[in-house]
Amino acid sequence: MSNSKSPYAAALDELHRYFARFTPLSKQEFNEFLTYIEVREFGKKCIVIPAGEVERYVNVVAWGLVRKYLPVRNRELTIQIATEGHIIHSDISFHYRTPSNCIIETIEPTVFFSITYENLQEAYDRFPKAERLGRLLLSDLFVKKDTRYFDQLRKDTRERFLDYVRNHAEMLQRVPQKYIASYLNIKPETFSRLKHLTRKS
Amino acid sequence: MLESLRKYVSGYVALTDEEFRLLADKIIVRSFDRREQLLRIGEVEKYMNFVVQGLARMYFCKGKAELITNIAGEGELLSSSASFLSGTPSHYCIETLEPTTLLSITRDHLDEIYQQSVRIERLGRLLTTQFVMQKEEWEYECIRLDARERFTRFMERNPALVTRVPQKYLASYLNMKPETFSRLKSQLGKRPATGKLFAK
Repeated sequence: MSNSKSPYAAALDELHRYFARFTPLSKQEFNEFLTYIEVREFGKKCIVIPAGEVERYVNVVAWGLVRKYLPVRNRELTIQIATEGHIIHSDISFHYRTPSNCIIETIEPTVFFSITYENLQEAYDRFPKAERLGRLLLSDLFVKKDTRYFDQLRKDTRERFLDYVRNHAEMLQRVPQKYIASYLNIKPETFSRLKHLTRKS
Repeated sequence: MLESLRKYVSGYVALTDEEFRLLADKIIVRSFDRREQLLRIGEVEKYMNFVVQGLARMYFCKGKAELITNIAGEGELLSSSASFLSGTPSHYCIETLEPTTLLSITRDHLDEIYQQSVRIERLGRLLTTQFVMQKEEWEYECIRLDARERFTRFMERNPALVTRVPQKYLASYLNMKPETFSRLKSQLGKRPATGKLFAK
C-alpha cells in the first residue's frame, strides 16, 4: 500500500464503504460496530477452520487470499475463492452450530476482520440498523450464490471458463490453476487447454 | 388461512398481534388451477408466496430438458427468490402441480413494513439466511452424496411428496435419470428408513 494510511485503516475504510452500499452508516455507527470485530492474522497455507469444528466466525478478508473446499472421496472440491473485501466462513456450521463439513485454508498470508456468533447476535440486538445491513447483505449473497449455481447448471465448460477469465483476470495470477479448475468444475487438463486457446486469440 | 402463516413466522420471530397485522394487511390471496404458470423465465418475480394449499415446481430449461430446482408444498415459501430480491429477470419459471392457494406479498409492501417494524425486518433477515443455507446445503448434497444417498435422504424428509409429484419431476429434482429413480424406489422404497446410514 503506497498511501500514508496504515493498511488496517485502509482496509477498514473499504469495509465501511462496503457496508454503506447496503445502508447508510455514519463514521460513529461504524466505529461502534467495530468494537465487536476481531483482527485475525494467518500465514500462507494455514487452516482457518478444519472439518469437524464448529465455525465461530464470519470473516471479511482485509487482505490476502483464501479458499473453501469440501473433502470428497480423496479429492478436494473448491467451492469458494475469496480475496480482499469478500466474506468467507463455514456458513452452515456457523448458522446451525454444527461441525463444519468444509475446510477453509489460506493461499496467501491473510488478515481477516472477524465477528463471533455471539457478538453478531448482540450487534443485531443492539443496533436496529444491523438488521437492515444483515438482511441486505444476505440478499446480495443469496443472489450471487444463485447466479453461480445457475451458471454451473446451464453453462458449458468453455463458457464458465471464459466468464471467469473475463471477470477475474487477476485471480489467474494469484490462485493455483488447480483450485480455479476445481471451483469451475473443470478438469485441470481441460483448464490448461482452454487457457492456451485464450492466449492465442 | 393466515393462521398457518402466523405459525410459520413464529418459528423465526415472535411477532405481537399488532406487528403481525402490519404484515397481514399487505397480503393478498392468489389461487391457481393445476398446471398454471405463476412466473415465466425472463419475467421479474413480483411476489414472495407462502403455500397454504397445493404444490408447485420451479424449473429452467436446458436444451429440451426441464431441470427442477425446487418443489414447494403447504407451509413452505415459493418464489423465484433471487429475482424477487434483486429485481432482475428470473432464470426459472414456476408452475403449479395441483390447484394451489398462495398468500402473497410484493417487494414494495415488504420494504414498507420493514421501515415500520424492526422485528419484521429481523424476520426478513432470518428468512434470507434460510435461503442462503438451503442453497448451500443443496450444493453440498449434490457434491457429497451419490444418487442412492440423495434418494434416501429425500424420502426420509419428504415421504408425502412421493405420491403427489410425478416421478419424472422427482428424478429431475434429485438430478438423476428417471430409470435410476424407479430402480432406487423399488430397491429401497419398501425398506424402513434407518437414518443411520447418513449420519454425518
